[in-house]
Amino acid sequence: MIKYVVTALVAGGVAGYLNSNWGYVAGDVWVSDYAFNALLMLLLFVMGLAFAMDKESIAKIRRIGLKILVIPLVVALGSILAGIVSGLILGVNVVATAAVSAGYGWYTLAGPLAGQIFGAEWGALGFAANFIRELLTIVTISLMVKVDKYAPIASGGATTMDTTLPVIVRYCGSEALITAFSSGFVLSLIAPFTIVAIASLA
Amino acid sequence: MVNFVFLILPLVAGLLFGYLLREKKKVNLSRVTLGIILVLIFSLGFSMGSNNELLNSLPKVGLSAVVIAVLTIAFSVAFVKLVRRSVGLQ
Repeated sequence: MIKYVVTALVAGGVAGYLNSNWGYVAGDVWVSDYAFNALLMLLLFVMGLAFAMDKESIAKIRRIGLKILVIPLVVALGSILAGIVSGLILGVNVVATAAVSAGYGWYTLAGPLAGQIFGAEWGALGFAANFIRELLTIVTISLMVKVDKYAPIASGGATTMDTTLPVIVRYCGSEALITAFSSGFVLSLIAPFTIVAIASLA
Repeated sequence: MVNFVFLILPLVAGLLFGYLLREKKKVNLSRVTLGIILVLIFSLGFSMGSNNELLNSLPKVGLSAVVIAVLTIAFSVAFVKLVRRSVGLQ
């Protein structure tokens, strides 16, 4: 399946590039925004349906309960610590790399926010680092599930509530739906706050 | 915030319908979801490919971005793997 996913991703990338650089065949906002959101809503509906029709998955969620919140909090900690370590490795502003990492993969947030706080170059880095995180999560998912059942959810960060959710559910099964969605949801909620909080340490 | 509502509403609606229909015969939705997923991934690629600001930034900050991306993924996965068993997440 990963073959199809990567093909679709690359085809979409090439189509998007051609469309925005050699005449607008379709308005890019239409394809990337409206069509994407409508389909995502449909998919969430279908996945919710499949999840709730499966009695076992409901029982599993009942057993897990609030422990489900451990995942996003640990992912947040891991990401911020990784930001500090990469700042040290690269020999650049550690506070800025930590703030960029606190985007948890949400590049449309981390890019502009880091740009505003630390300047344009950091905006570009916030954009690219989180974008590559999302890209790697999708591309390496078949290896990721071998490391740990929850590895794709950890890797996806804030993106597991939307863009990487379908691929994760496909690979980790319907029971991963609520875990992945709630983790992505919590991380998306705290991302803007953690970025700004870390930046205020500078 | 509007975004969150748009995602939660269909999910909750699906969960409710699924719960009401749970005694009914199971339908196999995997073909439908695979189709939607591939269109979604295409559309995700499309928005990345048409984002010139993003593409132009890649050569300049590429190496640092890869380091940060790989480390955030590695640390997140390692932390979850270490912690989840100790809190009883199977």
